[in-house]
Amino acid sequence: MLRRTFLKTGPALGILTACGKPARIKLALNWKPEPEFGGFYAAPYSKYGLDVEILPGGTGTPTVQMVGAGSVDFGIVSADEVVLARSHGNDVVALFAVFQDSPTGIMAHASRNLTGIGDVLKEGTIALESGLPFARLLERKYGFSHVKVVPSPGGDITSFLHDEKFAQQCYLTSEPIAARRKGAAVKVFAVSQIGYDPYTTVLAVSGESLRKNPDRAKAMVAAVREGWRAYLDDPKAANQQMNQLNPTMDAQTFAEVAEVQKPFIETDAARRNGLGTMSHERWETLIGQFKELGDISQTIPAGECFRVL
Amino acid sequence: MDLRIKEGEFLAVLGPSGCGKSTLLRMIARLAEPDSGQIRMEPNTMEPNKDRFQTAFVFQDANLLPWRNVLDNAALPLELMGEARARRDERARAALDQVGLREALDRYPAQLSGGMRMRVSMARALVTEPRLLLLDEPFAALDEITRFHLDVQLRELWQRRGMTVIFVTHSVSEAAFLANRAVVLARSGGAIKLDRRLELPAVRNNELRGDPRLGQEMRLLLGAIEE
Amino acid sequence: MKKTLLPPLIPLVGLTLMAEFLVRQGFVRAYLVPAPSAVFRAMVSSRAELAQALASTSAGSLAGFALSAIVGIAIAILLSSSRGVQRAFYPYAIFFQTVPLIAVAPLLVIWFGFGIETVIASAFVASVFPVIANTLSGILSTDPPLRDLFKLYGASPLVTLFKLHLPAALPQVFTGLRVSAGLAVVGAIVGEFIAGGGLGSVVDVARTQQRIDKVFAAVLLASLLGLGLFGLINLLSYLMLRRWHASEQLE
Repeated sequence: MLRRTFLKTGPALGILTACGKPARIKLALNWKPEPEFGGFYAAPYSKYGLDVEILPGGTGTPTVQMVGAGSVDFGIVSADEVVLARSHGNDVVALFAVFQDSPTGIMAHASRNLTGIGDVLKEGTIALESGLPFARLLERKYGFSHVKVVPSPGGDITSFLHDEKFAQQCYLTSEPIAARRKGAAVKVFAVSQIGYDPYTTVLAVSGESLRKNPDRAKAMVAAVREGWRAYLDDPKAANQQMNQLNPTMDAQTFAEVAEVQKPFIETDAARRNGLGTMSHERWETLIGQFKELGDISQTIPAGECFRVL
Repeated sequence: MDLRIKEGEFLAVLGPSGCGKSTLLRMIARLAEPDSGQIRMEPNTMEPNKDRFQTAFVFQDANLLPWRNVLDNAALPLELMGEARARRDERARAALDQVGLREALDRYPAQLSGGMRMRVSMARALVTEPRLLLLDEPFAALDEITRFHLDVQLRELWQRRGMTVIFVTHSVSEAAFLANRAVVLARSGGAIKLDRRLELPAVRNNELRGDPRLGQEMRLLLGAIEE
Repeated sequence: MKKTLLPPLIPLVGLTLMAEFLVRQGFVRAYLVPAPSAVFRAMVSSRAELAQALASTSAGSLAGFALSAIVGIAIAILLSSSRGVQRAFYPYAIFFQTVPLIAVAPLLVIWFGFGIETVIASAFVASVFPVIANTLSGILSTDPPLRDLFKLYGASPLVTLFKLHLPAALPQVFTGLRVSAGLAVVGAIVGEFIAGGGLGSVVDVARTQQRIDKVFAAVLLASLLGLGLFGLINLLSYLMLRRWHASEQLE
């Protein structure tokens, strides 16, 4: 209480600003620092009175639970995780959607001459996170009877490179580039092609935190929006910072991925309504798909899933 | 040291702790090698690496294999010799009989008393009908009554079999009771301080325990040790 | 029977009731820790899937464990043959213990493919070292007087190994096997995360679906599997050691 009073009156009081430190905030990522988080590293948090500590993640980092439980203030999740979480009573709210279109896709060897996602599932092996909604939608639509389903290798392309009939789930902005580097000719299919297109790399906050401190959330979104603008215009500085934290990708790949991901981020809707924008319609579609899959028993109100600040 | 032992003798080796009496025994058994000098058996029918089964050793602890029963423990040397089961079981039973163990042949060492375990150990030593029997303070951990009993039994076995026995002990009374020759080693360096034929009757039984002649020999031996 | 089963059951029942109460009353959030009743319901509703997964993980961990036992004991015997051999090769055995399995598992997939072979290999890597270490220690710590006994009768090293060292080492071999059993289950599940199938796959998929009740159900089954394997080893140990080793003697 006292601290916030200081924050508001600090500048006016001059000498006392030394005692009023900006709020220390934790932002949890759901993967290692990569261009998909570029804007978060480029954001001018202090300008908005925030002191943000970014916590890199990895395989299986449970950001949606961390946000709901309050162990971090903000987290990066995907829209489908928000829907599932809310249906389980985890009050998480989306604030800013970096990827307007989902960059999830299927990567296959070009030599197979496949024309559509359905063809990938006609033979060979496919590595998927089979619990995810898109995987189950794929199964519903095309069936997995002719293909061997194995767990997703989480970014690793070794099995893919070894086997021509091996296809895997990927981020269109990531694994294909790595594969091409290694000399493989690849063909990619966006999952959004089958009509499943949740917002991805979404900044989320807990409903409780949002109610208690809407100004902080607002400041965060503003900082993040500015950060993404800056990153889209010039990713070099943030890329360098992230590369130091994540040496598994080289600088050239960082630059390449930052470029390739732009169309997913700066879409027509984003240009019209601002970066990170979200629409009621898109959320409703997503919720409807979950209901159809049987993952949620009742529809949840789309309006509660997100907030535009 | 220069020690000559005649075949058929019952030799007791005495001395203070650390004088090397156990080491001497181990060297004779070829469990240890001397730094210099040699150990020879004459007549040379007992060559070092052949005829190993002519020498038997009874250790300080009964040293039985805990996972084998009494019979199989006693039969171990014969098993290592390669004898067939029926024959070796028969011989083992005979040896156990000689030390007074007729029943409890299927019991395990953990179920036996200290005295019984030592008897099994002795039976094992006797099962190959050795010409040389070496004992390293075998009865030290047993109670007095058992010890007296086993002393008598050992002496009888020696008389019946005609083997050569070398018996290392701390106990002056035991040495005097059992042996017909006693050797006392110096505190260090292995020098022999006393080498004596004991002037005692051939038959040793519990009555001898009260005989003044026994006390006399004991005093002589003790004197040599304490010098 | 009563003495062994009843005491552990009391805290279990107590803990379960307390957990149920805490979740129902909202003290603990249901999406972080599921109520025991929810876990039970998940077990019942997914029983076919869980049964099949349990069978698969059991097969993988048992096979991996059996391999660990055989290969581990064999390696320990080889290492016991000479100091030189030990010094040269023991560090590599330690490697099995220290290598982070989750980093090695993707390599195993490259070599063994996306099937139960990888699961078995993973279970093996995770569980072989305790067998080697304990067996070797057992073989090397044979009582010196017993060694003298065999030396006295001129027994060859091979005969001494089979008639003395191995029987003497048996209690320690079982100690190693006990530790190894649980590790084999863990190793199998890690293998399943990468290669698919079994309880590992159930956990992985349920996690992405935020079905924490199902995750707990699968984890519970995995623990029971480990417990079962452990119990099997104990039974074997009892049967083989009861007549002669202090550890199995009744009080």
